[in-house]
Amino acid sequence: MIFTDLRFVLLFALCWATFFAVPRGWRTATLAVWGMIFYVTYAGPFIGIVLLLAVAALFAPAPLAGFLIVGVLIYVKLGRVAIVPLGISYLAFELLHVVIERRRGRMTKPAWCDLLGFVFFAPARIAGPIKRLPPFLAAVEEAELSAENVYAGLLRILLGLAKKFIFADVLALTVAEAGYVATMRHAWIIVLAFSFQLFLDFSAYSDIAIGFARILGIRLPENFNWPYLAANIREFWERWHITLSQWVRDYIFVPCGRALFRTRLRPWPNVIAAISYLVTFAIVGAWHGLTAAFVLWGVYHGALLATYHVARLKMPPRITDHPWYDSRALRTLGILTTFLLVTIGWVPFFLPLGKSLHLWSLMFGFSR
Amino acid sequence: MSRAARRLLFVVLWLLLADCFVPPILQRAEHARYEGSVPFRFENSDLFALGPMVRYLREHPHGERRRAMFLGNSIVFGYGIPARDAVPAQFEALAGNTRVFNAAINGQELGDSYLVGKSVIDSVDTLFVQLIDREGARPVLGTLIPVDDDDARRFHVERRSAVETTLRSLLGRVWRLYAVNDRLQAALFGTSTRQYLYLHKKELLRGRAPEAPGATASNAPPVTLSAAHNGSGPLPRTLLDLAAVAKARRKRLVVLDFQSKGNAAAVADFNTAYAPYAEIVTIVVPDALEYDRMHFTAAGAHAVAAALVAHEAAR
Repeated sequence: MIFTDLRFVLLFALCWATFFAVPRGWRTATLAVWGMIFYVTYAGPFIGIVLLLAVAALFAPAPLAGFLIVGVLIYVKLGRVAIVPLGISYLAFELLHVVIERRRGRMTKPAWCDLLGFVFFAPARIAGPIKRLPPFLAAVEEAELSAENVYAGLLRILLGLAKKFIFADVLALTVAEAGYVATMRHAWIIVLAFSFQLFLDFSAYSDIAIGFARILGIRLPENFNWPYLAANIREFWERWHITLSQWVRDYIFVPCGRALFRTRLRPWPNVIAAISYLVTFAIVGAWHGLTAAFVLWGVYHGALLATYHVARLKMPPRITDHPWYDSRALRTLGILTTFLLVTIGWVPFFLPLGKSLHLWSLMFGFSR
Repeated sequence: MSRAARRLLFVVLWLLLADCFVPPILQRAEHARYEGSVPFRFENSDLFALGPMVRYLREHPHGERRRAMFLGNSIVFGYGIPARDAVPAQFEALAGNTRVFNAAINGQELGDSYLVGKSVIDSVDTLFVQLIDREGARPVLGTLIPVDDDDARRFHVERRSAVETTLRSLLGRVWRLYAVNDRLQAALFGTSTRQYLYLHKKELLRGRAPEAPGATASNAPPVTLSAAHNGSGPLPRTLLDLAAVAKARRKRLVVLDFQSKGNAAAVADFNTAYAPYAEIVTIVVPDALEYDRMHFTAAGAHAVAAALVAHEAAR
């Protein structure tokens, strides 16, 4: 884990000291310099790719920059490189956000040091959260040195380390039993263990990134909000990997829906929503990895969201108006159902397609 | 002083206070783990405790009893049977005044045994090394135990970053808990905390203490140490190098050939060249003592241990 590597801690300490020593106007340049040293330390020559993409986002026409960023992402996700450049998936989405916003005219051309500070911001470069440029620059500008920030940041880092090393890594040992699973009970235990391992592991990375940023006085966006307490699949995606959900909503789902509204599908908004969900989440799946298993996972979530969307709109008023509809019992049932559906869906997230089918067949008693 | 600053100060003071108790706790825990009588094995074949064990042995080259170490793969590890039933633990129970370290790992190759054996040979009296065809080593070994540059190149093992090593050393001088946290975990749990929680989750969740290992009695039929060898071709170079190290350091090396892999002439030459320090023994185990025609049952492990004890006593 890079966060616990002493070289990272040392680099961060030096970054922290210089960040508050320089005038506010130089802060993003400071973050850029230390971020580049960090990137060279852990990803070596791949810094060239990151710089190329950043330069493209800054100077190239939007279609060309977008094509280049997506092209590099697809090339990497296809497994054409032996080592994946550190944080390339998150980096690609952050740069695409800059390119799209500039294309839409909502963002002026950023200063090069601001963009490089944003791109190379070390705490968020490893596993997100996916940042947006304007709020990030505002947070850097407003950052203050205070014991409150240092304490809150350290506490958050400690929380993340505990989640990762005490809980997630122990659950990972149970998940590793998937290699020789043979019974229904064992299959369910493994899938439940993965469900919690993934949440604890991923949210731990976010906690640590947010904690390091907080020590600098920079507030990063939250990435998780008790996702397994969501009462429906839509709420789940409002609580799980929030920065990714918001990104795909703004840059894939809404544009896709708008484009479909200009077609002959206009009279059928539910069909448009369903297609938009499926397309969006197929891309989300592919973003995690260009494999059949990840795409299947994405399409599964797209289908759940589309089904929920249509079911909610088609629900007769005699049901939605019934007092039981908003009851605590029904919400609890919704939480359990959502958790179960999400958990079943995680199988292709950690196993190849063939093994996923085997595990599902064990879970549902089709295989002995 | 703000509330957050006071809390930060409190945490630092607490860490400083806790650090004072680290050395005595570590000393007691390591003594119990490495000099005690609880069967020693890398549970779940996790390599975490290898580094701490090697460091302890190198810092304490002389134990309270004689020391023996077993190196090999799942056959020596005792795959499928508890640690107390594996060959090394049964050897310890039968041999008397000997502390035995089961440093076998599932899937281990001869290069692993060579690197581990070489790093501790000055701290053990007898090395039992399983004869394995494959001569590779796990890349991670270079970050866990001392490996010289020639061996690192030869076995393609990873090395820890020099910057990281220096930083660890510097931080470890002022924060003892940081410096010895892996040794503390290995001494207290025999493995990493995460492996311990995983392996004992049921007992821990039910509020029961993990089962204490005990000795296993056995009435198994005896196995034989044979002079028959069915292999052809030369012995692995890695084995010859380890034997040369043992001879140079005047230590006993017993090579365990469970599958008669050695070439008869080569084995005879080996036993002559490295006598009285290194010796290859072929162990013939009846099928009835193997549960899958490869791994020993508890009774099989007992019989093998008894044969080895008798063999060493006869010298």
